[in-house]
Amino acid sequence: MTDPTVLILASLAEGDKHGYAIMEDIQTFAAIRLGPGTLYGAITRLEKCGWIRAVNSDSRRQPYRLTADGAAELKKQLALFGQIVRIGNRRVKEA
Amino acid sequence: MRTLIRWAAGCYPKAWRERYGAEFDALLEDVSPSLHDVCDVLRDALRARLTPPVEPWVASLAASSSGARFPIIFSVGAHALLLMLVAATAVGYVTPMPLRIGMAPLPPPFPEPPPQVTDARVFPTAFTLYSSLPLKPADGNVLPLYVAAGVGINFFPVPDIGAVYRQGNVERRVWPGQALESFMVRRTLPEFPRAVDMREAVSVFVEYVVREDGSVKVLRTSGPTPFTDSARSAVEQWVYRPLGYENHRCEVLSRVEVRFDGKFAQSELR
Repeated sequence: MTDPTVLILASLAEGDKHGYAIMEDIQTFAAIRLGPGTLYGAITRLEKCGWIRAVNSDSRRQPYRLTADGAAELKKQLALFGQIVRIGNRRVKEA
Repeated sequence: MRTLIRWAAGCYPKAWRERYGAEFDALLEDVSPSLHDVCDVLRDALRARLTPPVEPWVASLAASSSGARFPIIFSVGAHALLLMLVAATAVGYVTPMPLRIGMAPLPPPFPEPPPQVTDARVFPTAFTLYSSLPLKPADGNVLPLYVAAGVGINFFPVPDIGAVYRQGNVERRVWPGQALESFMVRRTLPEFPRAVDMREAVSVFVEYVVREDGSVKVLRTSGPTPFTDSARSAVEQWVYRPLGYENHRCEVLSRVEVRFDGKFAQSELR
């Protein structure tokens, strides 16, 4: 649940964001603070996989955008998480 | 702490710094770095240095479960095959193939024409000349000798013996054909033209030059055409050892008389 790549994809699903905005957004909606190294390590992997891409910008703060492949991957991951949450809830009730 | 985290950011590989360096520095300006962040950056810089760059096709391959298994299966299979071959060779089941490196077999030898000798009846007083073909083959048997019927060669005295003619940088010395005999490597005898039906004798004079490499070039001929052609084609196949004068190579000019006697040739053809 705390996989930084999924958190970044979820953050970018709302719209284009640069690195610091992604950190702030994740801290807001997931209460998780990603370190700068963790954030850019995940961004590097996501860009190499083609799930996000850099948007043209004149600012030093480089914004990123979710690609169609990234959106599909995010949906797949969220469906998996939903299944885990559903089964986990049911088992907690039965316990 | 900000200086420390900037130092840590400098630990990323050069290629990573070129791509993400500027925006990463901007991010570090926005955050309030803690010791935890410094460690986080150092850990990721180390990971970036140890992890080879992931190409998109590799990522897509790794994303599919069957694709992820394929390299493993292939690697294990290849190693197993290699081990089996090594084991089979060790117990002698597989015989190493001998390495044969050599030249391709030579083609069968081109059949040489039979050895020939000039017709002594044409020039009764001149030397009898042999063709330069081997008279004894390798098996020791004597080859039959054939006479070039009706053909004789005469080395007549040349009036300008010893003269030197210069053509550009080339120096040509006049030697009689008799003097060149000891340098002869290969001789082909002229053939009596078969299309000619005559009983008289015809003399053809050939002037030729022996080049520095020993090959022969005919300069001029005199006589009726079918006979000069035969004489020219034969003389141009002659080969001499390279000739020299006073320790330097030179070209040698010489002349021969080739006589075709139809009387003797026709008697052989009948």
